[in-house]
Amino acid sequence: MSTPVITKPAADAVVPVRPTLGQRLTSFMPVIALVVLLAALTIADPGFLTLNSLTAAVRTSAPLVVLAAGATLVVLCGGIDLSIAALCSLATVFFALWLPDLGGLTTVAVIAATAAIGALQGLAHVLLRIPSFIVTLGGMSIFSAIALVISDAGPIRVVDRDVTNWLTLYVGGVVPMSFVVALVVVAVISLVLRLTPLESWIRATGYSESAARLAGTPVDVVKVAAFTVSGACAGLAALMLVSRNFSGSPSMADNLLLPAVAAIVVGGTAITGGHGSLWRSLAGALVVTLLRVGLPIVGVPSAYEQILYGAIIVAAVALTLDRSKVLIIK
Amino acid sequence: MTSPTEAGRGAGRATGTEADGDVVPAQRPRPRRGVSLRDAGPPIALVVIFGVFAVLSPDFRTVSNVQNVLDAAAVLAVVTCGISFVLMMGSIDLSSPGIMGASAITVALLVANNRNDNDLGVLGVVVAVLLAAGLGCLSGLALVVLKVPSFMTTLGISAVGLGVATLMFAGVQPNVSDTMLQGWAVERFLGLAYLTWIALACVLVGWLVQRYSRLGRYAFAIGGAEEVLALSGVKVAPYKVAVFTMAGAFYGLAGVMVTSQLGAGLVQAGRGYDFSAITAAVVGGTLLIGGRGGILHSTVGVLLVTVLTNGLVQVGVSPYWQGGVQGLIVVAAVAAAVIPQRRRNQVTK
Repeated sequence: MSTPVITKPAADAVVPVRPTLGQRLTSFMPVIALVVLLAALTIADPGFLTLNSLTAAVRTSAPLVVLAAGATLVVLCGGIDLSIAALCSLATVFFALWLPDLGGLTTVAVIAATAAIGALQGLAHVLLRIPSFIVTLGGMSIFSAIALVISDAGPIRVVDRDVTNWLTLYVGGVVPMSFVVALVVVAVISLVLRLTPLESWIRATGYSESAARLAGTPVDVVKVAAFTVSGACAGLAALMLVSRNFSGSPSMADNLLLPAVAAIVVGGTAITGGHGSLWRSLAGALVVTLLRVGLPIVGVPSAYEQILYGAIIVAAVALTLDRSKVLIIK
Repeated sequence: MTSPTEAGRGAGRATGTEADGDVVPAQRPRPRRGVSLRDAGPPIALVVIFGVFAVLSPDFRTVSNVQNVLDAAAVLAVVTCGISFVLMMGSIDLSSPGIMGASAITVALLVANNRNDNDLGVLGVVVAVLLAAGLGCLSGLALVVLKVPSFMTTLGISAVGLGVATLMFAGVQPNVSDTMLQGWAVERFLGLAYLTWIALACVLVGWLVQRYSRLGRYAFAIGGAEEVLALSGVKVAPYKVAVFTMAGAFYGLAGVMVTSQLGAGLVQAGRGYDFSAITAAVVGGTLLIGGRGGILHSTVGVLLVTVLTNGLVQVGVSPYWQGGVQGLIVVAAVAAAVIPQRRRNQVTK
């Protein structure tokens, strides 16, 4: 959205401000929420805190973690990627269609394809100056259409399960491989950001794009890169879904959009850009998964899940929004 | 051309309106030549596309197909009426799938149906529309009070609406047996279904609100320059909430119309309408940054989208491509609208 951004003039002397207790608490909010949820669920059903159910929970969360991690980069730049779920569905169809021909290379091909599609969206956003929100909303619609057409609107079975088999293994017999992969993705992206100037570029772009531009930050390149990574993550999440469902389908991941957005904002990444991190989205994704798994345990009908997502998104954005930056909320 | 004196008088009149508190119909400044050309673009495109399909497909150029197109455009026209006001303010609204789903189930459960003994008739429709207006009001309040950007609040409200709809759906599909509601989709007046006349009435109401009420003109002004409006002493917040409430009411009516067409209340009644409506409004010439466009523009956009959808099916393109075509159109239309301001508009989020 093209909200007018007003940058405050810098104070003459920078006084280091220590975060107040409240601010510290807010920044640990996702972790606190996670612990509180775990405790509440354990009290509601003492059988919940067992190895088996925890393993199942983190296994379910893996695709969500990967999707949210990719989209977090776009949000950090100040944009939003609404196409991740549709792109992920399209990628499951790609995988199922390409597997008979490409065999083991399918994994690489699918991730490369989704990364390229993500880059295309980024280029449309940057070159045509269309708000990221509209580009990805249009993308969502286009990807769904392509997936419907090439799959003939039905699920495609994946017969050869060897290629995705590694994702269903357990590391040390306990931790699901898909979750380990999700953790590795988050860790690698975070490390790369930390060790290169990328992190400050992304933050600068998110906090104040015009200032970043004036300071010589390659804003356009950073944004396209963020969309590319987001696309690649959608492809990886698609692999995880295929490894679990043994099929590709044009609407397989569509219901992951809301949880992914919820995971990002619950983690505390500001929708206005700049503030946040991938680790926060990881915690957010776990919170969302626990809610999803936990509601039936407490005895709440799953219809409330949607209402809860809606309320959570609005509440979390309201808490994390950087109000000093946006004077007019559209 | 607007001369400076005219502009001055216009400004004087605007402040006068505010001081007296009575409604004086604001005289529109004459459009400059470029603007009028831009306004003429969508209708010309409509005629061209219509002509192309009429040449390509013999089935397309029949009277019954034109009736079909108009009837098919009815629901989208009502949704677009609602979203146009929101877009004029420069906000965005993704809540129509949820709100339409909630109102569709509500109306199906309140008129004569197979689930319970209710038989409220028109009152049921009114209750459904009021519920929808309430949901719209919620997203407006979240925007104004919590200061959450509208695309987030409406995404949230959409989820809430879907959840409410799923709760009421309770696993058993409510089939409507109310003759009045069923008749809306079937019975015809002057060759068009009642639903189409309802849609026309909505467009008329929307146009009157936009043209002659303070709400409509302030919605325009909020999109054009909100800070200026706020600095001149207008309390912007209530108008924003009112616009979202009105949009919600339109979505609610659209949900009722879908229920009438399907003869049953479905949670997915509004699926895809949010995007189609944005496409229609944008194609019709409403800018997403607000301050330009309007109901009549959007209605032309609705016809454009519907003719395109219908025509593509008639010439043999898979209906699955519909969403894709709309996606391409919306990106292209927004890109085209932004080109004149490319140099100025450095920051795009």
